[in-house]
Parts: sequence; structure tokens; C-alpha cells
Amino acid sequence: MTSDEALMMEFQGGSRAAFEELFARYRKPLYGFFGRRLNNPERAEDLVQETFLAVIRAASRYEPRALVRTYLYGIALKLLAAERRKFLTSSKSGQSAPEPKTDGTPERMLWVRQALEKLDAPEREILMLREYEQLSYSDIAELLRIPVNTVRSRLFRSRLALKSYLESEAKSNPALRASAGQPHPGRRGMQ
Amino acid sequence: MAYLDGELPTDQATEALSHLELCPECQTLVADFRGVSQELMAWEVESPEVGIPLEINTALGERLQKREAAKISSPRLENRVMTSRWVWAGALAIVCVAVGLTLTLTSRNRNEDRSTAYPSMASIEQYLMPDRNAEIAMARSAAPEAISADAKILVLGWRGYETAIEGKNGFVCMVERSWMSPFNSAEFWNPRVRVPLCFNPGAARSVLPLTIKRTEMVLAGLSKAQMIDSIKAGFDNRELQIPEPGAMCYMMSRAGYLNDALGHYVPHLMFYFPLIDKSSWGADLPDSPVTLNPQFRDGPEPITEFVIPVGKWSDGTAAPAM
Repeated sequence: MTSDEALMMEFQGGSRAAFEELFARYRKPLYGFFGRRLNNPERAEDLVQETFLAVIRAASRYEPRALVRTYLYGIALKLLAAERRKFLTSSKSGQSAPEPKTDGTPERMLWVRQALEKLDAPEREILMLREYEQLSYSDIAELLRIPVNTVRSRLFRSRLALKSYLESEAKSNPALRASAGQPHPGRRGMQ
Repeated sequence: MAYLDGELPTDQATEALSHLELCPECQTLVADFRGVSQELMAWEVESPEVGIPLEINTALGERLQKREAAKISSPRLENRVMTSRWVWAGALAIVCVAVGLTLTLTSRNRNEDRSTAYPSMASIEQYLMPDRNAEIAMARSAAPEAISADAKILVLGWRGYETAIEGKNGFVCMVERSWMSPFNSAEFWNPRVRVPLCFNPGAARSVLPLTIKRTEMVLAGLSKAQMIDSIKAGFDNRELQIPEPGAMCYMMSRAGYLNDALGHYVPHLMFYFPLIDKSSWGADLPDSPVTLNPQFRDGPEPITEFVIPVGKWSDGTAAPAM
């Protein structure tokens, strides 16, 4: 199994197969990254593509000082920030950001999404990078340019806040409370 | 909280765990935060299955082409035509020394390389087998057809093991992944690992739940410390059990890949017991065919596991001598 970093170096050296392998490894995780933050599947797909295009364009400048994983999410965060700025500008000129599609979305998923939206943006980002992208504290600190201790304390606060949101939701919605105590479907192992 | 996220070095994690066992307040906090993590996993994003888009392919082609062109037209390279016999001889000598050094260092560093090659979990799809039928066939290859043909077959999906085929004889065949290695194994996250095995009915009832549990925890993104913690709790609250008498499994597939160190290894049988001394089976003694499997040694599972090589692969062909 070749490491991501070795693949990146091979790609720098002209290997198409190395790039294809990196694409196979990171397309879905990156789609999840944009999908959760934008609620817009089409744009998520576009931005995944833009992330890989940025990798291709900047390949010669890549230096193996950071993990490829961190490098990719670094690009993704920049693209995300640009996307948000674009929406901000367009919403000022009268256009509004698309509403998240909720048709057919399981209630629990909506519940989690709404709870996350209640967090402060910086805390939410740290929590999501940790929980969904599985980045380490130091990777998150590097990407967001904040001290590791800040990552740690914000993560603690955001988990505490999320716990309290989820609990209050569960109290007001008994159906969710019942499902919250159950393991996820398919995670129950053998029946 | 760093403990929860697997961010503590082993010694500090052990300290944190000891404290946790005695602190009900922290236990509640840990349980709450784990609950939050579990809840967050409910938000799944289904990614459409697509190949490399045209635009990326084009950009890729252009970049690689430019690179090739730059290589060919580089004046530096054009001018660097070495005609002198002495220059060639010198270069050859340098190459020989370099190759010799590399060989020496490679063998010395092989173990170090292994220990740093898989520092963390790869993306889940790297552990999955895209061809479900291939996984079923690999699982079946763990035991002779007379056993595996009627066995229940499990395959790994995005959320854990799923029943692919119901069985009739109480055996369960599956392909385990790297996270069934010891927690301190350098290859715990090696995505190439494929370990086909067939549990007999006793092991299917008492040992298989361990595989199911570890797999669920891995796919839920738990850290090693969390997994160890949860396994210990599982044995304490009897969710997990010690091996039933007679619990064993077949591992006679020639298609498996146990790890980078062992490769396919040799066909063998494994026998599970509650913790016992290896001397009771004469394991690891000179010329004894019985070895103590390190899989659960020093791990949170109170299990002793012995391995006995056998002479044939599951298809009846002769195995290489150990």
C-alpha cells in the first residue's frame, strides 16, 4: 500500500496512475466535506473537481511537509471560503443561497444538521473537521491557523453545546428520543 | 477529551483510562461525548459514483504532456552529454555504492518502514472489496468446500458486516480486515490486509462477535483507546463472551493476505480459549507445531489463541513447508 505522500511524489514525477489512485482515495471524503457544508450536491461535485484541478495545477509546488490529506483539505477549505464569499455577494445583490433539500432526508439526519447549525461557525468547523474528516488536533490547528489548545477548548465547548441541543430536541420530540438511544441501522452487526 | 479522540500518547492514555475507571463524573462526560459522535454519524452524504471527470482528465493530460515536453527540451539535459569514459566509470561506481547502501539500509529499515507506513485509518473504501462475489469466494476459500459450501457468508459493507448468504451448518466464513490485528500492530490500518476465515459454530457464537464489534467501532471512527475501552466494558457487561469450548476456525485460503510481514502465510487452524498458559499446549517450544497467536496477546480480549499449520490449502493442493 503506497502512502498518499509517496503517490503525490510519483504524480509530481509524471505518474498518471498515482493521481488516479489519489482521486479514488479522496473523491468521496471530499464530496462529504463539501456536501455537509453547502447542502448543494451539484456544487459539492463541482468543488471536488476544482480541488483536484488545483492539485494538478500546483503539483510541481507540492512539498511533502504536510500530509496529503491535510494538504487536500487545506485546498478544500479555501475553495469553500471562496464559495461562501460568492454567496454572500450574490445574496447582497438579491439572490439567495439554495435551501438545503430535505425531501426524503431521514429525521435524525435533519436533527443533527439543525443542531450543528446552532453552533458558532468556528466551533462548528472544528467539530466537523474532527468528526467527519477525522483530522488530528494539530492538522486542524494548522489548517485554521489557530493554536492546538484553541482547537482542544473549542472542540470541548462545541461537543458540550451539541449535547445540550440534542438533549433538548429529544425532550421536545419523543420519537427522536426513542431513536437516539438505538444503534444505527446496519451497525448492529449480525442479527 | 484528547483521550477520547485518541490524541494522547500511550502512557498518558493509560493514565487517563485509570482515572476514568474511578471517576463517575468523567465516565458520564465520556459517554455523553461518545453519544454526540454517534449522533453526528447519522448525517451521511451519499456520493454519486463517477469516474474521473473529463475536465480533470484533460488538465491531467496537459500537465503530464507539458512535463514530458519540458524534459525533452531542457537545455540543461541536452548539454549534459557525458562522453568521457572516465565520467561514465565514475558514475557507475557511485551507482554501485548507492545500490549497496540502499540494500543494506532497506533490510535494516524494513521494520521501521512498516511501523510508519499505516499511521492512521485509510478511507473506508480502501478496506472494502468492490466485487461482492470476489469477497464471497475469498471467504469460502478459508475452509475446504465440504465445510464452506454450507456456511453462512458475511461480507464487509459501509456499515459493517452483512450476511451475503445464509448458511446451513453453523459455520460462518468471512474476510477479516487489518483492525483484527493487535492494537499495537504496525499494520493495524493496513488496507491491503484480507484474512479469510471460517469459524466453527462455537467460534461463530463466541469469537465472531468480537470481529463484528471491532469492525463497527472502526467504521464509527472510534480511536484505538476508545475501542479498547469498549471491548473491556463489553466483557464486563457480558455483551462479549469468552470462547466457547471447542471454538476454532479454519484459515486455509491461499488467497488471503495476512499482512506485509507474512503475506499469504501458510494454511492453518486456530483454536480459541479463555486465557491459559501457552505451556499447556506446548506452544512455541522447539519443534512444536503449535504457536501462540499474538492477535489477542496483551489486548483487551481475555483470549488465548493457538495456531497449528496444516499441510494443504483448502483446495487440497500441498502447502509450502514452513
